[in-house]
Amino acid sequence: MIETICNYDGRDDLLVAYLYDEIDAADRATFSAHVNGCGRCTRELAALRGVRSTLSAWAPPEPRVITSYEPRTAIAEPRGTSHAPRAVRSWHDVPGWAQVAAALLVLGVSMGIANVEVRRDGAGWTLRTGWSRVPAQNAAALPATPASAPWRADLTALERQMRTELQSISATRAVPAAAPTSTMTDAELQRRVRTIIQESERRQERELALRVGEIMKDVNAQRQADLVKINSSLGFIQTSTYGEQMKQRELVNYLLKVSQKQ
Amino acid sequence: MFGSNRAEKVSAYSMTWSDEELVARSIGGDPDSFNQLVLRWERPIYALAYRVIGREEDARDVCQETFLRAFRALNGFRGQAKFSSWLYRIALNLCRDWVRRERRTPVIQAPDDLDALELSAIREPTVSVDDLVARRELTFIVERAMAKLPEDQRTAIILKEYHELTFQEIADLVGCPLSTVKTRLYQGLAVLRRELAKSES
Repeated sequence: MIETICNYDGRDDLLVAYLYDEIDAADRATFSAHVNGCGRCTRELAALRGVRSTLSAWAPPEPRVITSYEPRTAIAEPRGTSHAPRAVRSWHDVPGWAQVAAALLVLGVSMGIANVEVRRDGAGWTLRTGWSRVPAQNAAALPATPASAPWRADLTALERQMRTELQSISATRAVPAAAPTSTMTDAELQRRVRTIIQESERRQERELALRVGEIMKDVNAQRQADLVKINSSLGFIQTSTYGEQMKQRELVNYLLKVSQKQ
Repeated sequence: MFGSNRAEKVSAYSMTWSDEELVARSIGGDPDSFNQLVLRWERPIYALAYRVIGREEDARDVCQETFLRAFRALNGFRGQAKFSSWLYRIALNLCRDWVRRERRTPVIQAPDDLDALELSAIREPTVSVDDLVARRELTFIVERAMAKLPEDQRTAIILKEYHELTFQEIADLVGCPLSTVKTRLYQGLAVLRRELAKSES
């Protein structure tokens, strides 16, 4: 691309004066007419305006520690502004309601993790804890499981089978003479009962393991959810606190500017 | 209670007195008057020093030293120029001394440690993290481009762009003809245009 040449007298100085609008009215009118007919000046003027626009984005950082000055501290520096390093921000700066909410959240999560159970029954109030471990002797005290649990049908069938077997045993012992054709000996009966009992124990163990696994899974899921809630709540608290500080500072700065203008 | 009364007193000053009047009152023995001058001009002087030097801590030192020297020399201020111009001159001289003493161009701190989490923690509530990151990157680009400028062009652009001084005020401040100020501005802007175009590409 061929760049045209502009030989306007005092062009560079006039361009700057025109750019910053610090030019006599007569010179402005003359140079403006020139710019309208000069491609190079038009392009350069637009480019320099773009540079100025970009420069406007450059703001110096807030000084962490500024001049020691008592009245300024009293007026321009609201309590807890970010001139102090953020690392030393105190919980005293957090609003009271936020501290209470955080405390309740932590308490709830702690109770969940500690597997705290509070119950009221005929014996009065009962408080039980155990770090996510359910003792075997307390398995019976676990809350009722849904009727659709897969092991419930098996358990019912087993119970029915045991009742049938016991009834048949009772009938055999009550009328031995009436059942001479029975081929089941005592040894066979004992072995069968033992098998049934063993099978029942195995089912109960599986049931217990299943219940414990479900509870552990629920506790872990709840703990993860609570941790996420705590994390987001703390982030919200920090953001809210900083937002309040920024608003206070902007308000004070505004008042300061207004007072200076007056 | 004392602080509150004192604050009200200083606030009343800011609504009543001009810089020159505050200087006169300070010379007359009123310490709050000079404090009010510090309050008015602390941030502009710090901003000037930071843009010239490019280092936050050194800019803060220059700012404090500026007011210290101004206070010591207050009796010598006769009002030939505006108080702000006098203050700018002290600050610019200190910056110039700093640059010569350090024998280096302004230091640009690259945003290598740009951390979105940190930004989200410090961001203003109405500004998104993306905007904040973009602003930081743009600041870095401008600082880097400004660092390419010779000291006189850099000073002229800073005084014009960020402190809105007139050509004549800049000329008086740095002690050069008015046409030289315009030339420095034009040349500086041309360099910046080139450097910013490089960054964009």
